[in-house]
Amino acid sequence: MTTAITQDEINAVFPTVADMVADALGCDLAEVKPDVSLIEDLGAESIDFLDMVFRLERSFKVKIPRGKIVENARGTLTEAEFEQNGVITDAGMAQLRAYLAEVPAERFKTPMKVKEIPRLFTPETFCKLVISAQREAKAAG
Amino acid sequence: MSVALPDAGIAGKTALVTGGSRGIGRAIVELLAAQGADVTFFYQHNAAAAAEVVAAGTAAGLAVAAEQVDIRDAAACAAAVERIVERRGRVDILVNNAGTIRDNPLLAFEDSDVDAVIDTNVKGVFNVTRAVAPHMVSKRSGRIVNLSSVSAAKGGRGQTNYAASKGAIEAFTRSLAVELAPRRITVNAVAPGVIETEMSKDVRELAGDEITAKILLRRYGKPEEIAYAVWFLVSAYANYVTGQVFSIDGGFKME
Repeated sequence: MTTAITQDEINAVFPTVADMVADALGCDLAEVKPDVSLIEDLGAESIDFLDMVFRLERSFKVKIPRGKIVENARGTLTEAEFEQNGVITDAGMAQLRAYLAEVPAERFKTPMKVKEIPRLFTPETFCKLVISAQREAKAAG
Repeated sequence: MSVALPDAGIAGKTALVTGGSRGIGRAIVELLAAQGADVTFFYQHNAAAAAEVVAAGTAAGLAVAAEQVDIRDAAACAAAVERIVERRGRVDILVNNAGTIRDNPLLAFEDSDVDAVIDTNVKGVFNVTRAVAPHMVSKRSGRIVNLSSVSAAKGGRGQTNYAASKGAIEAFTRSLAVELAPRRITVNAVAPGVIETEMSKDVRELAGDEITAKILLRRYGKPEEIAYAVWFLVSAYANYVTGQVFSIDGGFKME
């Protein structure tokens, strides 16, 4: 069982992540709050996610495989336990809500499709992505 | 009334040209460097020719560097692009010029005749472009020019492999133009006809008269005539051009 990510860890990386988000999306740094929706509130598009991951990899010197956020959110659930025909299961939703704890509850809709998950992503989601990548890099030595 | 031509916007830009030690690639390297770009070119085999291009550029006070990179090797492409970015902070211009030819009638092909051409001409372009494009996306600007060939559109005996590879490049160009347009990156292709280079030497010697008879201008092209088209596409004059294939072939006629 991996240790939960702490607020201190998030606070440590947030300034760099926020700068990156503001730069990638061309928005004001003040708008980049930890829990804003990157798509709904800051206008991110799918190519922006690729760009943001690329920028994070460079600034934190980590490797972040594509699809990593969903994989992290899925946790110990198998793919079949997490989703059925592209729709997230109840167990999957519980897991997702727990992983994306910073996302206000009203933004989760049910039923929700896997491909809709990116609409939930926030700057804090990306902080957690960086932290888990840093931990994995450390564990791999 | 006087209309001033705008600045071409190439001076100070960072350019990468693949296959830059000889032929068309060398002409592109020389023209972009002469216009003030900082040019790095990849070459695969000919270290002596590459050194000559670098020496000539350096002697003229231009910024020209060479890297020996096999573009079939994705990791090598990524590492070499990383070195350019470390030095210059960005890549503004990518010219996918490197290509190889293995003409043979289909019935006489060895497996390697197909693999060599597809691996270099198609996969090589993917490898280099995948290494460069994220940097352009981050900067929200960039110019990509891919070298196609008259063979992509017009049949040529013994060229099924080469023609297929260049047809792929034209399709790649149009799709990538769609993907990257929102980030203000243009993607175009130049399709040369028969140009006076080492690569076309055999075909010119074998079928010279037959070929020139098909060219409206009745002569082969010169490498610099292709470089001018590439220059246009990476210049500010082509700010509004993307997803296009420019034929520079002296008016090559259909079969």
